[in-house]
Amino acid sequence: MPLDAPEPGQRHRLGRSALARLLTLVSLLVLLGACQSRRDPDRLIVASRNRIDTVDPAGASTIGAMQLLSAIGDPLYAVRPDGSIEPRLAAQLPRISADGLRVVVPLRRGVVFHDGTPFDAAAMVFSLERFMAIGTLSYLLGDRVVGVRAVDSHTLELRLRKPFGAIPQLLSAINLTPLSPAAYRSHSRRQLSDRFVGTGPYRLTFFTPQQQRLEPFGRYWGRPPANNGLDLIALSNSTALFGALQSGEVDGLLSQSLEIDHQVALHQRSEQGLLVQATGPALNIVFLSVLSDQPPLNNPLLRRALALSLDRTRLIERVSQGLMAPLQGLVPPVVAGGTPQPWPAYDPAAARRLYRQAGYCGTRRLPLELTFRSNVPSDRLFALTWQALLQRDLGDCVELKVQGMETTTAYRLLGDGAFQLIVLDWMGDFPDADNYLVPLLGCEQAAGSVCRKGGSASSGSFWSRPGLEAELQRSATITGPQRLELVRRIQRQSADGSPYLPLWLVQPRMWVRPELALPRFDGSGRVLLQELRRR
Amino acid sequence: MSRSARLLRYVLARLALAPVMLWLLATLVFLLLRLAPGDPVDALLGTRAPAAARAALRAQLGLDQPLLGQYGGFLIKLLKGDLGLTLTNQQPVTEVIGQTLPASLELGAVALVLAAVVGLAVGFSGIARAEGRLDLAARLYGIGTYALPSFWLAMVAQLVFAVWLGWLPVGGRFPPTLLPPAGSGFYLFDSLRVGVLSGQWQALAGTLRHLVLPASTLAVLLSGIFANALRLNLRRAMASDYVEAARCRGLSERRLIVRHALPNALLPVLTISGITVASLIGGALLIEVTFSWPGIAARLQEAIAQRDYPLVQGIVLVVAALVVAVTVTVDVLVALLDPRLEF
Repeated sequence: MPLDAPEPGQRHRLGRSALARLLTLVSLLVLLGACQSRRDPDRLIVASRNRIDTVDPAGASTIGAMQLLSAIGDPLYAVRPDGSIEPRLAAQLPRISADGLRVVVPLRRGVVFHDGTPFDAAAMVFSLERFMAIGTLSYLLGDRVVGVRAVDSHTLELRLRKPFGAIPQLLSAINLTPLSPAAYRSHSRRQLSDRFVGTGPYRLTFFTPQQQRLEPFGRYWGRPPANNGLDLIALSNSTALFGALQSGEVDGLLSQSLEIDHQVALHQRSEQGLLVQATGPALNIVFLSVLSDQPPLNNPLLRRALALSLDRTRLIERVSQGLMAPLQGLVPPVVAGGTPQPWPAYDPAAARRLYRQAGYCGTRRLPLELTFRSNVPSDRLFALTWQALLQRDLGDCVELKVQGMETTTAYRLLGDGAFQLIVLDWMGDFPDADNYLVPLLGCEQAAGSVCRKGGSASSGSFWSRPGLEAELQRSATITGPQRLELVRRIQRQSADGSPYLPLWLVQPRMWVRPELALPRFDGSGRVLLQELRRR
Repeated sequence: MSRSARLLRYVLARLALAPVMLWLLATLVFLLLRLAPGDPVDALLGTRAPAAARAALRAQLGLDQPLLGQYGGFLIKLLKGDLGLTLTNQQPVTEVIGQTLPASLELGAVALVLAAVVGLAVGFSGIARAEGRLDLAARLYGIGTYALPSFWLAMVAQLVFAVWLGWLPVGGRFPPTLLPPAGSGFYLFDSLRVGVLSGQWQALAGTLRHLVLPASTLAVLLSGIFANALRLNLRRAMASDYVEAARCRGLSERRLIVRHALPNALLPVLTISGITVASLIGGALLIEVTFSWPGIAARLQEAIAQRDYPLVQGIVLVVAALVVAVTVTVDVLVALLDPRLEF
């Protein structure tokens, strides 16, 4: 008899045995499922895709790190959702000298660091000098500030290189949050990546790149957090994040790096009342950089024609099912000077006329190459959709080839003029028009309409025009309606040159479980984590 | 020269070659990383920051030094056992490896044990009747699990057990509501110790809950290799002359398989296990990424994207050294178990 031939009755025993094993396995899984640690209902778990390598304000450069810092640190000023400025650790708005080169900031009294030491002007000087010395983003201050000093125990003075109108916005950058000099004594000129001692509403009590534990700071000077603490976790892919919110494993989800399909699904669920969705100010712009110093796109007619060839509504519908807002300017509309949006709307007939005028259409097609960042899914979708739309509407005039490239490689090659057209995105370090115009249009060295060195060259456009740099510099020094008009003029004239083609705005979102109250964002695009609470 | 002396000479030769191999590997990684377009400043700052600020940051990170100088500095540090600091957050590379390697090793070890148990059981199950139903099922299992894309299986498991049923966590290595146990970095061991010492078993339960999905997914994928290897080698052994001779002597089938065929069939499986262990030391990237497992493979992937030169070099070197150690150990084990092998 073969070995595996069951004896009479053995078949049932085998079946029962297999069933018993299966039941044991399922029981074990259920048992493990039941072994969840009991959670404090007022302690919340917020997930995102943001792995945070460092919590040191000098080293932090990612959106996730900034979000964390905004919960454990305080800036001198904060930007409200309506764009106005609110003093935080500053007692009032800064006083600026007549020549615009000295800025005096009165500081709030009665504030203490998480280690119990008092916050004062000396601590602020220590923190700003440390940032200027070792900060990854030290250019934020270093390009504008010559030095800082404590006038008295609670008055800070900044000496500027040249007048700068957006000083409160600059001082709202969370990287400039004060640190306890006592706690950072041995790290005054080197980074401390896994600990933080600041003044924020939460203390950081545990840190790994994937997980951070935040406990309310009992001696916080402002309104205490509305929850009993937060656990911030990073999950490495969009599907896991989506699943974690669905299953109730986490209470909230931040949208950064979440794939668009998941964002759309979460948006739909929030419309059905299954989740709560909050949106912040759209400060992240996505645009095409156009290589303007080499043929064929050194021809302004063709750049203008391309600007008219973008059917943003349809592109956005395809890329994000309408989740993003179309953009026709370089400055986001929520930033002062961001309206009106001067880039032209889709007009294929006008575009065809311009292509014809430049000698294309009919027998001769304009060959163009569009590069997208291969690790940004929406870029790829945009590239393919635009290619198809151009083929359909202007196929006899333009032939678009698309190719993907890894982001870091693309950034390195950008300044070499390697891309005729490339999809990029940008978010200013603080919400001010200069933070959008200077990095994209600034030019330290120009020859006619070609920029050799400066923001325009390193952004892959190489476009400039006589007088533009002087206007940008002037824009940085003035304030009020005069400045708004100047910003609008710079945008209008740039739209005529079309060195960039704005595409859409990315709005930060947060989704929370329905039992939580609607989250709020500040004017810098960060969630006010201390306000998260159950209804 | 006796066989054991020859074996010792072979092992010593392998160990003596290891530093040369590691140096070549370190040099290759050093050069390849720098040949790739883009550097840490591009990865950190993207398109932001003026050229002067970018240059200053490059100088701060030591990237403005001539390539030969950077290489010399790297080698000198390496000889002192110093793998340097990460460029992204100035953390010692050894510290990062110390945090991530145990995670990968723990996942790999648990998965390997599960895979061996399941795979060997499946491989063994069909031996009694070749081409029978069990054998066919074992063959299908082997081919199926071998052919399954790991990320697909991982995502399906995640969807079913974490999202739909809610039995297990979606990802991560430890419950966010608890603090991970301090100690060796092997949470299973550390939380077991905490449980034994303090009677608090929450940490162990949390560790197990997080381990179940990634480990069993990885185990299913690996078990096919074991199943196929054992099945084929066992069949070959069963058809060999010495088994036939034993059968003629009237030995029972059970005794034939267990005492004669199985030990010989397991030798190649041991070699395969060695190769599998070696590959798992570097982590199982897709499993780690899908389950947000903070292991060394996921960290290496991020380090490459960030162009964090010291971290990539450090991880590659440490993993390579461990792989050398494992392969030498397996070679010795096989040699000790199989007297037919010559050196």
